[in-house]
Amino acid sequence: MTLLLQRILDGLFNGSIYAALAVALAISHRATGRINLAQGEIGLVGAFVALALASPVGAFVAGSTLFAHLPGHPFSLRLATVVAVAVAAVFGAGLQAFVMRDFADLNPQRALNRSIALLICVSALSSGWWGGRARQFGELFPSSSRDYIGIFGARLRYTTIGAWVIVLLVCGIVHLFLTSTRTGLAFRALTAHRESAELSGIQPRRLMALGWAISGALAATAAALAASMSLIDTSLMFRTLIYGLAAVTLGGFDSLKGAVFGGIIVAQAQTLLPGYAGLPSEMSIVGALIVLILVLITRPWGLFGHRPVERV
Amino acid sequence: MTKEILSVQNVKASYGAIEALHGIDLVVNEGEIVVVLGANGAGKTTTLRAICNMLSTSGTVMLDGEDISKTDTASIVAKGVAHVPQGRGTFAALTVRENMEVGAYTRNDDEVEADIDMWFEKYPVLGERQKQAAGSLSGGEQQMLAVARAAMSRPRLMLLDEPSLGLAPLIIEDLFRTFAQINKEQGTSMLVVEQNANLALEIADRGYLIETGLITGSGTADELRNDPAVQAAYLGA
Ligand SMILES: Nc1ncnc2c1ncn2[C@@H]1O[C@H](COP(=O)(O)OP(=O)(O)OP(=O)(O)O)[C@@H](O)[C@H]1O
Ligand SMILES: [Mg+2]
Repeated sequence: MTLLLQRILDGLFNGSIYAALAVALAISHRATGRINLAQGEIGLVGAFVALALASPVGAFVAGSTLFAHLPGHPFSLRLATVVAVAVAAVFGAGLQAFVMRDFADLNPQRALNRSIALLICVSALSSGWWGGRARQFGELFPSSSRDYIGIFGARLRYTTIGAWVIVLLVCGIVHLFLTSTRTGLAFRALTAHRESAELSGIQPRRLMALGWAISGALAATAAALAASMSLIDTSLMFRTLIYGLAAVTLGGFDSLKGAVFGGIIVAQAQTLLPGYAGLPSEMSIVGALIVLILVLITRPWGLFGHRPVERV
Repeated sequence: MTKEILSVQNVKASYGAIEALHGIDLVVNEGEIVVVLGANGAGKTTTLRAICNMLSTSGTVMLDGEDISKTDTASIVAKGVAHVPQGRGTFAALTVRENMEVGAYTRNDDEVEADIDMWFEKYPVLGERQKQAAGSLSGGEQQMLAVARAAMSRPRLMLLDEPSLGLAPLIIEDLFRTFAQINKEQGTSMLVVEQNANLALEIADRGYLIETGLITGSGTADELRNDPAVQAAYLGA
């Protein structure tokens, strides 16, 4: 019983990462109506920028010499992460506004090709600068062996609590932006019907870039959390992307709440199913995929998504 | 002298290799209601879309003396043009009230709420369902919402593409009375594409006939009503 609870609590940490990436995928999809497969890589660039901001020059992290002139460098990892999240937002907006300007206008097949091309380019960029060995990222929250809350004999670690506070805070801000600001309403109108949005005087290009900025920030949050748990290397977010995609498909692309719950479910399936089905831990992705396939068969629009209504 | 709010000069438009408009000329004077009559596929929708730069065109479109043929759609709307597209184009995932708020996106005054309430009074169905997703409205209710949403921008010029499509006869009459009222009270000029020629000519000042991408006739509403060719083609006489 304690073992089960412990597994669930351990799965919650990964859940926060998948949730953040899933919401990022959902927001960029809302902005441009196409899946941005480079979403994880954009976040990873953010995490490497955080590392560069927090590393002394002698640590040989690309970028740290660049930032060495800034007063106060190297920064604390937390401050560096906050700055890097903003950098990732600008990076995402820039990619959308300049490189992916016509993304929303492409047909699905060409959009997929373009999305894969962007994934490869951004990945090549970070491999060129930060490739090679995996590096220590550092801890964002107290994570010694004593930093936990005991729950019926199981341990809920501070890192898990911290990760969820951050993820829920960021998602809450995004939700408030969407539901109670003028720009948020315009963004939802754009998602609902692009042509009618333009016919209401809404400029789509700016909002698309804004959507990619928000999702860039969310992806960088996910990447920093993932890096803080293990090591940071250039393939970190590629692995995570698969779970993030599973999570957002599970929850439904049009629901933030769905994406968050999708992240939790995928992470739980990842930890629980192999354990109880006797699969080796390298096969942990199978658990997530089983759940995904079941949902796609029964509810293709996602657990929390809205069933499409066609009126004639 | 009458002032032209809209002047379309030699506008051509193509879908791929097929030219749909072969050079359209038409004018809407300030305060006028102008109707466009034409058979299916004549190019009525394409003409309205060309005015808002929703497809690539050649020729000139002047709004209030300003060339807007290279201006993007959203900016044209911000200049005071409201376009109710054929097939409504409501935001199905947004609530009825949110649809109305988006309609007022280009406005900066504090009378938006009052305007929404005024429309909800005029169309109580919309008021009762203001918190529901617009996608849950019936086709006719969505058409009312589309018109109300467009009017929310307090436009100087309204482009209406078959606003009566799919509505019950009584509702259509009411809708046209609403157009006449908006036109009179707010001075909004209108360019209306309509299959329901009888009703449209009743509220219109002038009209154009369009056939396979060309303007083939024009006149005052009375002239068109009494033209035997028009009667045969559009008035079912
Ligand atoms: N998206 C499109 N792609 C290709 N051809 C099109 C497209 N839209 C319209 N056309 C063609 O352009 C011509 C004019 O179409 P348009 O929609 O303007 O007609 P309409 O007068 O509005 O007809 P209706 O009364 O049926 O609405 C038609 O021949 C039509 O087939
Ligand atoms: Mg038409």
